[in-house]
Amino acid sequence: MSVRSIQPGHGRIVVRNDGFSNVFSELSAAYPLKLLSPQLSSSNVSVVYMLSYGGGLVGGDQIQMDVEVLHGAHLALLSQGSTKVFKTRPGQRLSARTESNLTTRQRLQVHVSSKSALFLLPDPVTCFSAARYHQTQVFRLAKDSSAVLLDWVTSGRKSLGEDWAFSRYYSVNEVWIDDQRIARDATLLEERDDQGSLTPRTLAETLAPYSCYATVIMYGELVENTCRNLAAAYSAITVFKQHAPPSLIWSLSTICDGKGCIVRVAAKETEDVKNWLGKALVDFEGVLGVDVFRRTFS
Amino acid sequence: MDSDHEAYILLLLSDSNLPTGSFVASAGLESYVTHGFFTDLAPSPVPSPDKMDYTVNFLRDSLSSYAHSALPFVLDAHVIVEEALRDAQADEDTMDRVLGRLRELDELYEVMTLNHVSRRASKTQGVALLTLFSKGFSKPRLTKHLPTSDPSSVPESESRAATLLERLKFLVRREDTHGHLPVCWGVLTAALGLSSERSQYLHLFLQARSLLSASVRLNTIGPYAAQQLLLHTVRPLVESEMSRCKHLTTRHVTSHDPTTGNMPEDEDAAWRGPAMTWPLGEILAARHDLQHSRIFNS
Repeated sequence: MSVRSIQPGHGRIVVRNDGFSNVFSELSAAYPLKLLSPQLSSSNVSVVYMLSYGGGLVGGDQIQMDVEVLHGAHLALLSQGSTKVFKTRPGQRLSARTESNLTTRQRLQVHVSSKSALFLLPDPVTCFSAARYHQTQVFRLAKDSSAVLLDWVTSGRKSLGEDWAFSRYYSVNEVWIDDQRIARDATLLEERDDQGSLTPRTLAETLAPYSCYATVIMYGELVENTCRNLAAAYSAITVFKQHAPPSLIWSLSTICDGKGCIVRVAAKETEDVKNWLGKALVDFEGVLGVDVFRRTFS
Repeated sequence: MDSDHEAYILLLLSDSNLPTGSFVASAGLESYVTHGFFTDLAPSPVPSPDKMDYTVNFLRDSLSSYAHSALPFVLDAHVIVEEALRDAQADEDTMDRVLGRLRELDELYEVMTLNHVSRRASKTQGVALLTLFSKGFSKPRLTKHLPTSDPSSVPESESRAATLLERLKFLVRREDTHGHLPVCWGVLTAALGLSSERSQYLHLFLQARSLLSASVRLNTIGPYAAQQLLLHTVRPLVESEMSRCKHLTTRHVTSHDPTTGNMPEDEDAAWRGPAMTWPLGEILAARHDLQHSRIFNS
Protein backbone atom coordinates (compact mmCIF):
# COMPACT_ATOMS: atom_id res chain seq x y z
CA MET A 1 0.00 0.00 0.00
CA SER A 2 1.58 3.27 -1.06
CA VAL A 3 1.22 6.37 1.01
CA ARG A 4 0.73 9.42 -1.09
CA SER A 5 2.50 12.44 0.30
CA ILE A 6 0.40 15.58 0.57
CA GLN A 7 1.54 18.87 -0.81
CA PRO A 8 1.46 21.91 1.46
CA GLY A 9 -2.01 23.39 1.65
CA HIS A 10 -3.62 20.34 0.11
CA GLY A 11 -6.50 18.46 1.60
CA ARG A 12 -8.43 15.42 0.59
CA ILE A 13 -11.76 14.10 1.81
CA VAL A 14 -13.44 10.93 0.67
CA VAL A 15 -16.66 9.99 2.42
CA ARG A 16 -18.99 7.17 1.55
CA ASN A 17 -22.11 5.67 2.99
CA ASP A 18 -21.95 1.96 3.73
CA GLY A 19 -25.71 1.58 4.05
CA PHE A 20 -25.84 2.46 7.73
CA SER A 21 -23.65 5.47 8.27
CA ASN A 22 -21.10 7.70 6.66
CA VAL A 23 -17.49 6.61 6.72
CA PHE A 24 -14.39 8.60 5.83
CA SER A 25 -12.07 6.58 3.74
CA GLU A 26 -9.80 9.60 3.56
CA LEU A 27 -9.44 12.76 5.56
CA SER A 28 -6.05 14.41 5.28
CA ALA A 29 -4.63 17.88 5.07
CA ALA A 30 -1.28 19.65 5.17
CA TYR A 31 -0.31 23.00 6.65
CA PRO A 32 -1.63 25.68 6.35
CA LEU A 33 -4.88 23.76 5.84
CA LYS A 34 -6.39 21.79 8.68
CA LEU A 35 -9.44 19.55 8.56
CA LEU A 36 -11.42 18.52 11.60
CA SER A 37 -14.31 16.12 11.76
CA PRO A 38 -16.17 16.12 15.06
CA GLN A 39 -17.96 13.05 16.31
CA LEU A 40 -21.62 13.85 16.18
CA SER A 41 -24.46 12.01 17.84
CA SER A 42 -26.68 12.13 14.79
CA SER A 43 -24.86 10.82 11.76
CA ASN A 44 -27.14 11.68 8.89
CA VAL A 45 -24.45 13.96 7.70
CA SER A 46 -20.70 13.96 8.09
CA VAL A 47 -19.23 17.28 9.07
CA VAL A 48 -15.77 18.57 8.23
CA TYR A 49 -14.43 21.89 9.40
CA MET A 50 -11.92 23.53 7.08
CA LEU A 51 -9.53 25.64 9.10
CA SER A 52 -6.37 27.56 8.52
CA TYR A 53 -3.58 27.72 11.07
CA GLY A 54 -3.46 31.14 12.65
CA GLY A 55 -7.03 31.80 11.60
CA GLY A 56 -6.09 33.42 8.35
CA LEU A 57 -4.38 33.15 5.01
CA VAL A 58 -1.71 35.39 3.59
CA GLY A 59 -0.47 36.27 0.15
CA GLY A 60 1.14 33.29 -1.50
CA ASP A 61 -0.84 30.67 0.42
CA GLN A 62 -2.27 28.05 -1.92
CA ILE A 63 -4.98 25.79 -0.63
CA GLN A 64 -6.33 22.95 -2.70
CA MET A 65 -9.07 20.59 -1.57
CA ASP A 66 -10.29 17.51 -3.37
CA VAL A 67 -13.50 16.04 -2.07
CA GLU A 68 -15.55 13.01 -3.00
CA VAL A 69 -18.99 12.33 -1.60
CA LEU A 70 -20.05 8.84 -2.55
CA HIS A 71 -22.75 6.23 -2.29
CA GLY A 72 -25.46 8.36 -0.84
CA ALA A 73 -23.35 10.03 1.82
CA HIS A 74 -24.16 13.55 2.97
CA LEU A 75 -21.27 15.88 3.70
CA ALA A 76 -21.28 19.31 5.27
CA LEU A 77 -18.18 21.46 4.79
CA LEU A 78 -17.97 24.27 7.29
CA SER A 79 -15.41 26.66 8.72
CA GLN A 80 -14.88 28.12 12.15
CA GLY A 81 -15.04 31.85 11.91
CA SER A 82 -14.66 33.83 8.74
CA THR A 83 -11.75 33.14 6.43
CA LYS A 84 -9.47 36.12 6.79
CA VAL A 85 -7.14 36.95 3.98
CA PHE A 86 -4.19 39.26 4.53
CA LYS A 87 -1.71 40.59 2.06
CA THR A 88 1.35 39.65 4.08
CA ARG A 89 2.29 38.51 7.55
CA PRO A 90 3.27 41.34 9.88
CA GLY A 91 6.93 42.07 9.44
CA GLN A 92 7.23 40.33 6.11
CA ARG A 93 9.45 42.01 3.54
CA LEU A 94 7.72 42.80 0.27
CA SER A 95 10.76 43.39 -1.88
CA ALA A 96 11.47 39.75 -2.62
CA ARG A 97 7.94 38.90 -3.77
CA THR A 98 6.39 39.11 -7.18
CA GLU A 99 2.76 39.94 -7.79
CA SER A 100 1.60 36.39 -8.30
CA ASN A 101 3.26 35.38 -5.03
CA LEU A 102 1.08 37.85 -3.21
CA THR A 103 -2.15 36.26 -4.38
CA THR A 104 -3.86 33.89 -1.99
CA ARG A 105 -5.47 31.00 -3.83
CA GLN A 106 -8.08 28.53 -2.71
CA ARG A 107 -9.26 25.75 -4.96
CA LEU A 108 -11.99 23.31 -4.16
CA GLN A 109 -12.94 20.43 -6.39
CA VAL A 110 -15.87 18.26 -5.32
CA HIS A 111 -17.40 15.18 -6.85
CA VAL A 112 -20.86 14.35 -5.55
CA SER A 113 -22.04 11.00 -6.81
CA SER A 114 -25.55 9.72 -7.43
CA LYS A 115 -27.92 10.23 -4.47
CA SER A 116 -25.19 11.91 -2.42
CA ALA A 117 -25.35 15.44 -1.11
CA LEU A 118 -22.97 18.28 -0.33
CA PHE A 119 -23.63 21.24 1.92
CA LEU A 120 -20.91 23.84 1.56
CA LEU A 121 -21.65 26.30 4.34
CA PRO A 122 -18.50 28.17 5.29
CA ASP A 123 -18.34 31.47 7.13
CA PRO A 124 -17.79 34.44 4.85
CA VAL A 125 -14.44 35.45 3.42
CA THR A 126 -13.03 38.76 4.57
CA CYS A 127 -10.15 40.21 2.67
CA PHE A 128 -8.13 42.91 4.37
CA SER A 129 -6.18 45.85 3.14
CA ALA A 130 -4.40 45.27 -0.17
CA ALA A 131 -5.10 41.52 -0.10
CA ARG A 132 -5.49 39.62 -3.37
CA TYR A 133 -7.65 36.52 -3.31
CA HIS A 134 -8.62 33.99 -5.96
CA GLN A 135 -11.09 31.25 -5.21
CA THR A 136 -12.16 28.53 -7.64
CA GLN A 137 -14.75 25.95 -6.70
CA VAL A 138 -15.85 23.27 -9.14
CA PHE A 139 -18.65 20.87 -8.30
CA ARG A 140 -19.37 17.79 -10.38
CA LEU A 141 -22.76 16.33 -9.60
CA ALA A 142 -24.88 13.51 -10.92
CA LYS A 143 -28.45 14.16 -12.02
CA ASP A 144 -29.77 12.85 -8.72
CA SER A 145 -27.20 14.48 -6.44
CA SER A 146 -28.04 17.43 -4.25
CA ALA A 147 -25.94 20.42 -3.31
CA VAL A 148 -26.22 23.64 -1.37
CA LEU A 149 -23.29 25.95 -2.06
CA LEU A 150 -22.86 29.12 -0.04
CA ASP A 151 -20.24 31.65 -1.05
CA TRP A 152 -20.11 34.98 0.72
CA VAL A 153 -17.80 37.90 1.32
CA THR A 154 -17.75 40.75 3.79
CA SER A 155 -16.20 44.18 3.73
CA GLY A 156 -13.92 43.97 6.74
CA ARG A 157 -14.06 45.51 10.19
CA LYS A 158 -16.18 48.62 9.86
CA SER A 159 -15.08 49.78 13.31
CA LEU A 160 -11.52 49.99 12.00
CA GLY A 161 -12.64 51.81 8.88
CA GLU A 162 -12.12 48.78 6.67
CA ASP A 163 -14.70 49.07 4.00
CA TRP A 164 -13.94 46.81 1.04
CA ALA A 165 -10.29 47.73 1.35
CA PHE A 166 -8.79 44.77 -0.48
CA SER A 167 -7.04 44.84 -3.80
CA ARG A 168 -8.78 41.95 -5.55
CA TYR A 169 -11.39 39.30 -4.80
CA TYR A 170 -12.09 36.81 -7.59
CA SER A 171 -14.41 33.92 -6.96
CA VAL A 172 -15.69 31.30 -9.39
CA ASN A 173 -18.29 28.69 -8.60
CA GLU A 174 -18.89 26.21 -11.33
CA VAL A 175 -21.48 23.43 -11.27
CA TRP A 176 -21.55 20.47 -13.67
CA ILE A 177 -24.27 17.85 -13.93
CA ASP A 178 -22.55 14.89 -15.59
CA ASP A 179 -20.79 16.48 -18.55
CA GLN A 180 -22.89 19.58 -18.79
CA ARG A 181 -22.05 22.84 -17.09
CA ILE A 182 -25.19 24.37 -15.61
CA ALA A 183 -23.73 27.36 -13.82
CA ARG A 184 -20.55 29.37 -13.74
CA ASP A 185 -20.76 32.24 -11.33
CA ALA A 186 -17.67 34.42 -11.64
CA THR A 187 -17.40 37.50 -9.43
CA LEU A 188 -14.52 39.92 -9.69
CA LEU A 189 -14.21 42.76 -7.21
CA GLU A 190 -11.14 44.80 -7.86
CA GLU A 191 -9.93 48.16 -6.66
CA ARG A 192 -8.97 50.17 -9.71
CA ASP A 193 -6.64 53.07 -9.22
CA ASP A 194 -6.61 53.95 -12.88
CA GLN A 195 -9.94 54.68 -14.53
CA GLY A 196 -8.76 56.89 -17.33
CA SER A 197 -9.62 60.53 -16.99
CA LEU A 198 -12.50 59.89 -14.61
CA THR A 199 -12.00 60.21 -10.86
CA PRO A 200 -11.55 56.63 -9.67
CA ARG A 201 -14.64 55.08 -8.19
CA THR A 202 -13.80 52.92 -5.17
CA LEU A 203 -15.11 49.45 -4.46
CA ALA A 204 -16.71 50.83 -1.33
CA GLU A 205 -18.74 53.30 -3.38
CA THR A 206 -19.74 50.60 -5.86
CA LEU A 207 -20.91 48.18 -3.19
CA ALA A 208 -22.50 50.67 -0.79
CA PRO A 209 -24.49 50.52 1.40
CA TYR A 210 -24.02 46.80 1.91
CA SER A 211 -21.15 45.22 3.77
CA CYS A 212 -21.92 41.60 3.01
CA TYR A 213 -22.79 39.85 -0.27
CA ALA A 214 -23.83 36.21 -0.37
CA THR A 215 -24.61 33.77 -3.15
CA VAL A 216 -26.28 30.40 -2.66
CA ILE A 217 -26.46 27.92 -5.51
CA MET A 218 -28.79 24.99 -4.90
CA TYR A 219 -29.56 21.92 -6.93
CA GLY A 220 -31.30 18.60 -6.53
CA GLU A 221 -34.09 16.72 -4.86
CA LEU A 222 -33.17 17.74 -1.31
CA VAL A 223 -33.48 21.43 -2.17
CA GLU A 224 -36.73 21.24 -4.13
CA ASN A 225 -38.88 22.30 -1.21
CA THR A 226 -36.60 25.14 -0.22
CA CYS A 227 -36.38 26.47 -3.78
CA ARG A 228 -40.13 26.29 -4.17
CA ASN A 229 -40.77 28.15 -0.92
CA LEU A 230 -38.20 30.78 -1.71
CA ALA A 231 -39.56 31.25 -5.23
CA ALA A 232 -43.06 31.69 -3.82
CA ALA A 233 -41.84 34.22 -1.26
CA TYR A 234 -39.91 36.04 -3.96
CA SER A 235 -42.80 36.38 -6.39
CA ALA A 236 -44.99 37.63 -3.57
CA ILE A 237 -42.78 40.67 -3.13
CA THR A 238 -44.01 43.95 -4.52
CA VAL A 239 -41.61 46.87 -4.53
CA PHE A 240 -42.98 50.37 -4.40
CA LYS A 241 -40.81 53.42 -4.94
CA GLN A 242 -38.39 53.66 -2.03
CA HIS A 243 -36.61 56.71 -0.73
CA ALA A 244 -33.55 54.82 0.44
CA PRO A 245 -32.11 51.37 -0.15
CA PRO A 246 -33.45 48.60 2.09
CA SER A 247 -31.13 47.26 4.76
CA LEU A 248 -31.34 43.81 3.21
CA ILE A 249 -32.01 42.93 -0.40
CA TRP A 250 -32.22 39.55 -2.17
CA SER A 251 -32.91 38.03 -5.55
CA LEU A 252 -33.66 34.57 -6.89
CA SER A 253 -33.34 33.01 -10.33
CA THR A 254 -33.94 29.40 -11.26
CA ILE A 255 -31.30 27.38 -13.05
CA CYS A 256 -31.24 24.10 -14.91
CA ASP A 257 -34.91 24.20 -15.91
CA GLY A 258 -36.06 24.75 -12.35
CA LYS A 259 -34.13 21.86 -10.83
CA GLY A 260 -32.02 24.38 -8.98
CA CYS A 261 -31.85 28.01 -8.09
CA ILE A 262 -29.40 30.78 -7.31
CA VAL A 263 -30.11 33.18 -4.51
CA ARG A 264 -28.20 36.38 -3.85
CA VAL A 265 -28.46 38.34 -0.63
CA ALA A 266 -26.83 41.56 0.48
CA ALA A 267 -27.23 43.52 3.69
CA LYS A 268 -25.71 46.35 5.67
CA GLU A 269 -24.85 43.91 8.47
CA THR A 270 -23.38 40.45 8.03
CA GLU A 271 -25.51 39.27 10.94
CA ASP A 272 -28.63 40.11 8.97
CA VAL A 273 -27.49 38.00 6.02
CA LYS A 274 -26.73 35.16 8.40
CA ASN A 275 -30.18 35.35 10.00
CA TRP A 276 -31.86 35.57 6.64
CA LEU A 277 -29.99 32.50 5.42
CA GLY A 278 -30.92 30.66 8.60
CA LYS A 279 -34.58 31.27 7.85
CA ALA A 280 -34.34 30.64 4.12
CA LEU A 281 -32.51 27.35 4.56
CA VAL A 282 -34.47 26.18 7.61
CA ASP A 283 -35.55 23.02 5.76
CA PHE A 284 -32.00 21.78 6.04
CA GLU A 285 -32.01 21.82 9.81
CA GLY A 286 -33.41 18.31 9.71
CA VAL A 287 -30.86 17.06 7.24
CA LEU A 288 -27.88 18.74 8.91
CA GLY A 289 -28.98 18.26 12.47
CA VAL A 290 -29.88 21.05 14.85
CA ASP A 291 -26.34 21.45 16.26
CA VAL A 292 -24.62 21.91 12.95
CA PHE A 293 -27.37 24.15 11.63
CA ARG A 294 -27.38 26.42 14.68
CA ARG A 295 -23.59 26.61 14.70
CA THR A 296 -23.61 27.81 11.12
CA PHE A 297 -26.47 30.27 11.15
CA SER A 298 -26.54 31.88 14.59
CA MET B 1 -12.50 47.15 -44.85
CA ASP B 2 -12.00 50.64 -46.26
CA SER B 3 -12.56 53.49 -43.87
CA ASP B 4 -15.42 55.05 -45.83
CA HIS B 5 -17.37 51.83 -45.76
CA GLU B 6 -16.58 51.31 -42.08
CA ALA B 7 -17.59 54.87 -41.27
CA TYR B 8 -20.91 54.37 -43.01
CA ILE B 9 -21.59 51.09 -41.22
CA LEU B 10 -20.85 52.81 -37.91
CA LEU B 11 -23.35 55.54 -38.73
CA LEU B 12 -25.93 52.91 -39.59
CA LEU B 13 -25.41 50.90 -36.43
CA SER B 14 -25.46 54.01 -34.25
CA ASP B 15 -28.85 55.06 -35.50
CA SER B 16 -31.18 55.24 -32.53
CA ASN B 17 -34.02 54.14 -34.76
CA LEU B 18 -32.32 50.83 -35.42
CA PRO B 19 -34.81 48.14 -34.43
CA THR B 20 -32.78 46.24 -31.86
CA GLY B 21 -35.20 45.86 -28.98
CA SER B 22 -33.02 47.91 -26.65
CA PHE B 23 -35.79 50.46 -26.25
CA VAL B 24 -37.50 48.36 -23.60
CA ALA B 25 -34.36 47.51 -21.65
CA SER B 26 -33.05 49.70 -18.86
CA ALA B 27 -30.30 47.27 -17.76
CA GLY B 28 -31.53 47.46 -14.20
CA LEU B 29 -31.68 51.24 -13.99
CA GLU B 30 -35.40 51.36 -13.32
CA SER B 31 -35.00 48.89 -10.47
CA TYR B 32 -32.03 50.90 -9.13
CA VAL B 33 -34.18 54.02 -8.99
CA THR B 34 -37.21 52.25 -7.51
CA HIS B 35 -35.15 50.65 -4.75
CA GLY B 36 -34.01 54.05 -3.57
CA PHE B 37 -30.45 54.22 -4.85
CA PHE B 38 -30.83 57.79 -6.00
CA THR B 39 -29.91 58.75 -2.45
CA ASP B 40 -26.79 59.98 -0.81
CA LEU B 41 -25.32 56.72 0.50
CA ALA B 42 -22.19 58.11 2.05
CA PRO B 43 -22.86 61.44 3.71
CA SER B 44 -19.93 63.67 2.98
CA PRO B 45 -19.00 67.33 3.40
CA VAL B 46 -19.18 68.02 -0.34
CA PRO B 47 -22.49 69.35 -1.71
CA SER B 48 -25.02 66.55 -1.85
CA PRO B 49 -25.12 64.69 -5.16
CA ASP B 50 -27.90 65.27 -7.62
CA LYS B 51 -29.66 63.00 -10.07
CA MET B 52 -26.93 63.44 -12.62
CA ASP B 53 -24.38 62.12 -10.12
CA TYR B 54 -26.53 59.11 -9.30
CA THR B 55 -27.06 58.45 -12.98
CA VAL B 56 -23.31 58.42 -13.52
CA ASN B 57 -22.85 56.15 -10.49
CA PHE B 58 -25.15 53.67 -12.14
CA LEU B 59 -23.64 54.16 -15.57
CA ARG B 60 -20.11 53.48 -14.37
CA ASP B 61 -20.91 50.45 -12.22
CA SER B 62 -23.27 48.94 -14.76
CA LEU B 63 -21.13 49.50 -17.84
CA SER B 64 -18.05 48.25 -16.06
CA SER B 65 -19.71 44.98 -15.18
CA TYR B 66 -21.27 44.66 -18.61
CA ALA B 67 -17.92 45.26 -20.32
CA HIS B 68 -16.32 42.61 -18.15
CA SER B 69 -18.98 40.01 -18.73
CA ALA B 70 -20.00 40.63 -22.34
CA LEU B 71 -16.98 41.94 -24.24
CA PRO B 72 -15.11 38.61 -24.13
CA PHE B 73 -18.09 37.03 -25.90
CA VAL B 74 -18.30 39.82 -28.46
CA LEU B 75 -14.63 39.34 -29.25
CA ASP B 76 -14.67 35.56 -29.44
CA ALA B 77 -17.83 35.42 -31.56
CA HIS B 78 -16.38 38.07 -33.86
CA VAL B 79 -13.11 36.22 -34.30
CA ILE B 80 -14.84 32.91 -35.07
CA VAL B 81 -17.00 34.45 -37.78
CA GLU B 82 -14.36 36.75 -39.23
CA GLU B 83 -11.92 33.89 -39.66
CA ALA B 84 -14.52 31.73 -41.38
CA LEU B 85 -15.56 34.49 -43.76
CA ARG B 86 -11.97 35.26 -44.67
CA ASP B 87 -11.19 31.64 -45.39
CA ALA B 88 -11.39 31.15 -49.14
CA GLN B 89 -11.54 27.40 -48.63
CA ALA B 90 -14.50 27.52 -46.26
CA ASP B 91 -17.12 24.92 -47.07
CA GLU B 92 -20.25 23.47 -45.52
CA ASP B 93 -18.17 21.67 -42.87
CA THR B 94 -16.45 24.89 -41.89
CA MET B 95 -19.80 26.57 -41.43
CA ASP B 96 -21.05 23.65 -39.36
CA ARG B 97 -18.01 23.99 -37.12
CA VAL B 98 -18.50 27.73 -36.84
CA LEU B 99 -22.09 27.26 -35.76
CA GLY B 100 -20.97 24.64 -33.26
CA ARG B 101 -18.46 27.02 -31.71
CA LEU B 102 -20.99 29.85 -31.62
CA ARG B 103 -23.45 27.59 -29.82
CA GLU B 104 -20.79 26.76 -27.23
CA LEU B 105 -20.15 30.45 -26.65
CA ASP B 106 -23.85 31.12 -26.43
CA GLU B 107 -24.29 28.33 -23.88
CA LEU B 108 -21.40 29.66 -21.80
CA TYR B 109 -22.96 33.11 -21.72
CA GLU B 110 -26.23 31.54 -20.64
CA VAL B 111 -24.69 29.69 -17.69
CA MET B 112 -22.64 32.73 -16.70
CA THR B 113 -25.65 35.06 -16.71
CA LEU B 114 -27.43 33.72 -13.65
CA ASN B 115 -30.18 36.29 -13.64
CA HIS B 116 -33.42 35.53 -15.45
CA VAL B 117 -34.17 39.17 -16.27
CA SER B 118 -30.80 39.81 -17.90
CA ARG B 119 -31.02 36.54 -19.78
CA ARG B 120 -34.42 37.48 -21.15
CA ALA B 121 -33.27 40.94 -22.23
CA SER B 122 -30.14 39.54 -23.83
CA LYS B 123 -32.01 36.93 -25.87
CA THR B 124 -34.61 39.39 -27.10
CA GLN B 125 -31.99 41.82 -28.30
CA GLY B 126 -29.77 39.10 -29.73
CA VAL B 127 -32.35 37.65 -32.08
CA ALA B 128 -33.40 41.18 -33.06
CA LEU B 129 -29.89 41.73 -34.42
CA LEU B 130 -30.00 38.57 -36.51
CA THR B 131 -33.37 39.59 -37.89
CA LEU B 132 -31.97 43.05 -38.56
CA PHE B 133 -29.24 41.61 -40.74
CA SER B 134 -31.52 39.53 -42.90
CA LYS B 135 -34.40 41.99 -43.12
CA GLY B 136 -32.69 45.32 -42.67
CA PHE B 137 -29.34 44.94 -44.40
CA SER B 138 -30.10 42.67 -47.33
CA LYS B 139 -30.25 44.31 -50.74
CA PRO B 140 -33.86 45.08 -51.77
CA ARG B 141 -35.11 44.37 -55.31
CA LEU B 142 -35.97 47.96 -56.35
CA THR B 143 -35.73 47.07 -60.05
CA LYS B 144 -36.39 50.65 -61.13
CA HIS B 145 -33.48 52.07 -59.12
CA LEU B 146 -30.90 49.47 -58.35
CA PRO B 147 -29.28 47.65 -61.28
CA THR B 148 -29.92 43.96 -60.73
CA SER B 149 -26.60 42.31 -60.09
CA ASP B 150 -26.30 38.75 -61.23
CA PRO B 151 -25.78 36.33 -58.35
CA SER B 152 -22.23 35.50 -59.38
CA SER B 153 -21.12 39.06 -58.85
CA VAL B 154 -22.06 39.00 -55.16
CA PRO B 155 -18.86 38.46 -53.19
CA GLU B 156 -18.57 34.89 -51.90
CA SER B 157 -18.00 36.07 -48.34
CA GLU B 158 -21.15 38.18 -48.41
CA SER B 159 -23.38 35.29 -49.39
CA ARG B 160 -21.61 33.06 -46.87
CA ALA B 161 -22.25 35.67 -44.18
CA ALA B 162 -25.91 35.86 -45.11
CA THR B 163 -26.23 32.06 -44.98
CA LEU B 164 -24.44 31.87 -41.65
CA LEU B 165 -26.66 34.43 -39.99
CA GLU B 166 -29.74 32.83 -41.49
CA ARG B 167 -28.72 29.46 -40.08
CA LEU B 168 -27.97 30.97 -36.69
CA LYS B 169 -31.35 32.69 -36.62
CA PHE B 170 -32.98 29.39 -37.51
CA LEU B 171 -31.23 27.70 -34.58
CA VAL B 172 -32.49 30.41 -32.25
CA ARG B 173 -36.07 30.15 -33.52
CA ARG B 174 -35.92 26.39 -33.04
CA GLU B 175 -34.56 27.01 -29.54
CA ASP B 176 -31.41 25.04 -30.34
CA THR B 177 -29.38 27.95 -29.08
CA HIS B 178 -30.16 31.03 -27.01
CA GLY B 179 -29.07 33.85 -29.28
CA HIS B 180 -27.52 36.05 -26.59
CA LEU B 181 -26.82 39.67 -27.41
CA PRO B 182 -23.00 39.78 -27.10
CA VAL B 183 -22.62 36.71 -29.31
CA CYS B 184 -25.08 37.98 -31.92
CA TRP B 185 -23.42 41.40 -31.89
CA GLY B 186 -20.03 39.82 -32.53
CA VAL B 187 -21.49 37.76 -35.36
CA LEU B 188 -23.37 40.68 -36.91
CA THR B 189 -20.43 43.08 -36.88
CA ALA B 190 -18.08 40.46 -38.27
CA ALA B 191 -20.55 39.80 -41.08
CA LEU B 192 -20.65 43.53 -41.82
CA GLY B 193 -16.88 43.69 -41.97
CA LEU B 194 -16.34 45.85 -38.89
CA SER B 195 -13.09 45.31 -36.98
CA SER B 196 -13.39 43.53 -33.62
CA GLU B 197 -12.13 46.54 -31.70
CA ARG B 198 -14.61 48.89 -33.34
CA SER B 199 -17.29 46.32 -32.71
CA GLN B 200 -16.53 46.16 -28.99
CA TYR B 201 -16.24 49.92 -28.67
CA LEU B 202 -19.53 50.50 -30.45
CA HIS B 203 -21.25 47.87 -28.34
CA LEU B 204 -20.25 49.64 -25.14
CA PHE B 205 -21.16 53.01 -26.53
CA LEU B 206 -24.60 51.80 -27.56
CA GLN B 207 -25.12 50.20 -24.16
CA ALA B 208 -24.27 53.50 -22.46
CA ARG B 209 -26.46 55.47 -24.82
CA SER B 210 -29.34 53.08 -24.20
CA LEU B 211 -28.94 53.62 -20.45
CA LEU B 212 -29.01 57.39 -20.86
CA SER B 213 -32.03 57.15 -23.10
CA ALA B 214 -33.72 55.08 -20.38
CA SER B 215 -32.75 57.75 -17.82
CA VAL B 216 -34.48 60.42 -19.84
CA ARG B 217 -37.62 58.34 -20.18
CA LEU B 218 -37.53 57.63 -16.44
CA ASN B 219 -37.41 61.38 -15.98
CA THR B 220 -34.27 61.19 -13.85
CA ILE B 221 -32.33 63.51 -16.15
CA GLY B 222 -33.37 65.70 -19.05
CA PRO B 223 -32.39 65.25 -22.70
CA TYR B 224 -29.70 67.96 -22.61
CA ALA B 225 -28.13 66.47 -19.50
CA ALA B 226 -28.07 63.11 -21.25
CA GLN B 227 -26.15 64.64 -24.14
CA GLN B 228 -23.68 66.25 -21.74
CA LEU B 229 -23.05 62.91 -20.13
CA LEU B 230 -22.72 61.20 -23.49
CA LEU B 231 -19.99 63.62 -24.51
CA HIS B 232 -18.11 64.24 -21.27
CA THR B 233 -18.59 61.10 -19.23
CA VAL B 234 -19.37 58.21 -21.56
CA ARG B 235 -16.36 58.77 -23.78
CA PRO B 236 -13.71 58.44 -21.03
CA LEU B 237 -15.76 55.66 -19.46
CA VAL B 238 -15.94 53.57 -22.63
CA GLU B 239 -12.26 54.18 -23.30
CA SER B 240 -11.32 53.10 -19.80
CA GLU B 241 -13.44 49.96 -19.98
CA MET B 242 -12.14 49.14 -23.42
CA SER B 243 -8.53 49.26 -22.33
CA ARG B 244 -9.41 47.08 -19.36
CA CYS B 245 -11.62 44.53 -21.11
CA LYS B 246 -10.96 44.39 -24.83
CA HIS B 247 -8.47 41.54 -24.54
CA LEU B 248 -10.59 39.40 -22.23
CA THR B 249 -11.54 36.08 -23.76
CA THR B 250 -13.45 32.92 -22.91
CA ARG B 251 -10.62 30.79 -24.25
CA HIS B 252 -9.33 29.78 -20.83
CA VAL B 253 -12.67 28.61 -19.54
CA THR B 254 -12.71 24.83 -19.96
CA SER B 255 -15.19 23.53 -22.47
CA HIS B 256 -15.66 20.11 -21.02
CA ASP B 257 -16.25 18.38 -17.76
CA PRO B 258 -12.98 18.32 -15.84
CA THR B 259 -12.04 14.78 -14.91
CA THR B 260 -10.55 13.86 -11.57
CA GLY B 261 -7.02 15.02 -11.01
CA ASN B 262 -5.53 18.46 -11.16
CA MET B 263 -7.83 21.33 -11.90
CA PRO B 264 -7.37 21.77 -15.64
CA GLU B 265 -8.57 25.32 -15.73
CA ASP B 266 -5.63 27.62 -16.11
CA GLU B 267 -6.80 29.66 -13.21
CA ASP B 268 -4.42 32.50 -13.60
CA ALA B 269 -5.59 32.97 -17.15
CA ALA B 270 -9.26 32.35 -16.41
CA TRP B 271 -9.45 35.39 -14.20
CA ARG B 272 -8.78 37.36 -17.34
CA GLY B 273 -12.02 35.98 -18.71
CA PRO B 274 -15.63 37.04 -18.31
CA ALA B 275 -16.80 37.97 -14.83
CA MET B 276 -19.48 39.98 -13.12
CA THR B 277 -18.07 42.93 -11.22
CA TRP B 278 -21.17 44.45 -9.62
CA PRO B 279 -23.15 42.06 -7.43
CA LEU B 280 -25.45 44.87 -6.33
CA GLY B 281 -26.43 45.48 -9.93
CA GLU B 282 -27.11 41.77 -10.38
CA ILE B 283 -29.54 41.70 -7.48
CA LEU B 284 -31.32 44.86 -8.57
CA ALA B 285 -31.60 43.72 -12.18
CA ALA B 286 -33.05 40.37 -11.10
CA ARG B 287 -35.62 42.18 -8.96
CA HIS B 288 -36.93 44.18 -11.91
CA ASP B 289 -40.16 42.20 -12.19
CA LEU B 290 -40.97 42.76 -8.51
CA GLN B 291 -41.57 46.47 -9.07
CA HIS B 292 -45.15 47.45 -8.63
CA SER B 293 -45.17 49.69 -11.66
CA ARG B 294 -42.57 49.72 -14.35
CA ILE B 295 -42.19 51.08 -17.83
CA PHE B 296 -39.31 48.87 -18.94
CA ASN B 297 -39.10 45.18 -19.60
CA SER B 298 -35.78 44.75 -17.81
